[in-house]
Amino acid sequence: MFLCIGESQTMNLAATSAPHRDGLAGGNSFSWEFTRPMPVPPPSSPSDAGPAPAVPPLRSRFDGPARSDWREYASVIAVVIALTAAGTQVPESYYTTVGLVFLLAINVMSLRVGRGPILTAGVLLALIWDYRFVKPYYDIGIENLHDALLFIIYLIVALIAGQFTTRIRAQAANERLLQERATALFQFTRDLAEAKTLLEAASAAITQMDELLGARTALALASPTPATHLPRFIGSFFVYERERQVAMLALQQRRPTGRFTDVRLTSEGYYVPLLRGDQAFGVLGVKVGPHDVLTRGQRELLDAFAQQLALIVERDHLRAASEREKLLAASEKLHRALLESVSHELRTPLAVITATTEELAEVNTPEQAELVGEIRAAGQRLNRLVGNLLDQTRLESGALKPHVDWCDTQDIINAALEDTQEAMAGHPLTVQIADEAALVRADFALTEHILSNLLINAAWHTPLGTPVSLTVGIAAEGTRLFFQVADRGPGFPKAMREQLFHKFSRGPAAPVGGLGLGLSIVRGFAAAQGGEVVLDDQPGGGACITLYLSHTVSDNPPPE
Amino acid sequence: MTTPTLPRLLVIDDEVQIQRLLHHTLGGGEFQLHAAKTGQLGLGEAASLQPDAIILDLGLPDLDGLDVLRRLREWSTTPVLVLTVRDGEEDIIAALDAGADDYLTKPFRGRELHARLRAILRRGRTATEPAVVRFGEIEVDLAARLVRRGGQELHLTSREYALLCLLVQHRGKVVTHRQILRELWGPNAEQKTNYLRAYIIRLRQKLEPKPGAPVHLKTESGIGYRLMAD
Repeated sequence: MFLCIGESQTMNLAATSAPHRDGLAGGNSFSWEFTRPMPVPPPSSPSDAGPAPAVPPLRSRFDGPARSDWREYASVIAVVIALTAAGTQVPESYYTTVGLVFLLAINVMSLRVGRGPILTAGVLLALIWDYRFVKPYYDIGIENLHDALLFIIYLIVALIAGQFTTRIRAQAANERLLQERATALFQFTRDLAEAKTLLEAASAAITQMDELLGARTALALASPTPATHLPRFIGSFFVYERERQVAMLALQQRRPTGRFTDVRLTSEGYYVPLLRGDQAFGVLGVKVGPHDVLTRGQRELLDAFAQQLALIVERDHLRAASEREKLLAASEKLHRALLESVSHELRTPLAVITATTEELAEVNTPEQAELVGEIRAAGQRLNRLVGNLLDQTRLESGALKPHVDWCDTQDIINAALEDTQEAMAGHPLTVQIADEAALVRADFALTEHILSNLLINAAWHTPLGTPVSLTVGIAAEGTRLFFQVADRGPGFPKAMREQLFHKFSRGPAAPVGGLGLGLSIVRGFAAAQGGEVVLDDQPGGGACITLYLSHTVSDNPPPE
Repeated sequence: MTTPTLPRLLVIDDEVQIQRLLHHTLGGGEFQLHAAKTGQLGLGEAASLQPDAIILDLGLPDLDGLDVLRRLREWSTTPVLVLTVRDGEEDIIAALDAGADDYLTKPFRGRELHARLRAILRRGRTATEPAVVRFGEIEVDLAARLVRRGGQELHLTSREYALLCLLVQHRGKVVTHRQILRELWGPNAEQKTNYLRAYIIRLRQKLEPKPGAPVHLKTESGIGYRLMAD
């Protein structure tokens, strides 16, 4: 066997149309990359697919009971001549003995040769016996009834012997055939089972089939469902585009196609789908010479092989899926543990600081209370910073799982306002919620975070005392919900808009402080729940940031 | 040193600073505090000490806080306040489902902690509920099934009243969405949070001085509701 396609060392046996390669979360596509060095094809053109296999094929053995050929006829005629010659050497009165010897010879020969030669020998010997050994000699006629009966009985026994032994021989041949098929299948299965990878299994399968059938075989494995795409074949013959379509038909119609079938009879190859349950895992293609045929026995064997292969491929799919699942679970667990530990380590001292300063603020003099207030503000800022860093990490690690549910818009806004109370202290805020946006579907925590970040952003980047507005409504088309935070500050420089969403990016006019994570998190949290964030100028000056989420109208509670 | 009438509190937390902080915040003569540094020790103390309430940190060095809670709940109904730096709603809901009575996220305020402890201790201590519960200008007469606002009787639908009743019974404590939905609409309605939101909006309109900025019917984001009672 050799492989006909080998331009690259990496062979995609079953690549899907859109492979996902984003790290561990490899998507759902099944694909096997064969990175083992593959045999390089010889320079011959793909159509005459290289040298024939070295091992003599088993094809004759699968062709059923052997046909009698001219050699058998020649040997029976030789035996007939020898017997006749020997018969002439005995006295004429021994003619019945000669007849019995002839009969014995017929029976012995029937163990060795086919029906045709036996019948020929039987008739020939009967005629010779009658002609040469029965009175009148050298004449076909028979003188008495006794001899005539002998002749008839002789002929009948010869015919029965011929028929009988032929049937026994056919049965023996059939049994041998079955046994050989069982052996072939056993060896095939064993080779597949021994293969450590799918590539090894496929190679073993192709080699085996090449040897067993004296044909050229090729194999293509498709992605499990839906079977719409068939990647390249590997194997010992090249499958042209036209032939690929025939192979594709086998995959779609879930039955053999191509030569020797009623689907695309004129194709070069015979294609069997690898079926397992209601899934088709690929196609096995076999090509024999233009004058050779695949017998029914061989095709049945191919079906059995295809089933075995399907089993192997399915096993591999299941194994790959379970491994990927395990890996994903392990990586997620690790990430979570890490995040939790970092979060715990950073937040515990912060909790102590915050709680302690609160106690102090209650018991001390106004000057001291002011100082304690500074500590508390710093603690809060640090807490927010840690929160942002953890959020950013959570976003990037994919550990963020949005929980979209019905929310009371006022609740979200209240939570955001409570969170940003101190930051917003110097900015008059107006909140407007449209009636139809009172009940919305969103992730409460993420949306609240987005609004807090936007409010803090607005407060941070605008002069003290300038107003900030928060508007919630449904966009004109009725399917989009928006939260809009607008200020009267300097607005965003047009050139920097896209860049502002990047992490650690800060506007040119931004006051000292802050990590520049705010908008990056805002966008990430919006995307996590299927929304988007748009930066714009406010008519009359200032910036305006809008969060869009998809909107669903709530059904009313059942009446009481 | 301590009088036996003080409620005994068991704090299961491995952080020394948090332990000290809790001692400072709670040790003002209102409670009698005991500390355990690991989950195993905490379980042992809970059995031998028979505390009136337990403050449990979820991030323990030996056992997961949730496991400690589950094991504890196998034999004890002692009120448990979960203290956590995990701000994921799932963790908190998991803790409440596992039998925690309430939760508080770090960093927390001392006043909040006191209020939560008082609320969970009330359940452990009082055998009979008062017939009338007051908060703000609202008066809920549980015996007569009447709600008054500033002395004036309020009309509530039966489901509105059932919702209010549930929150009043657990006043000061968080009640999860699932708990409310199951109680009011049956076990098949656990996803119908929009109904719950709609009823809360109605209740707020009837009970709150400013429905847009509720002071009694508080939302615990992503978790549930809490009725702040006096």
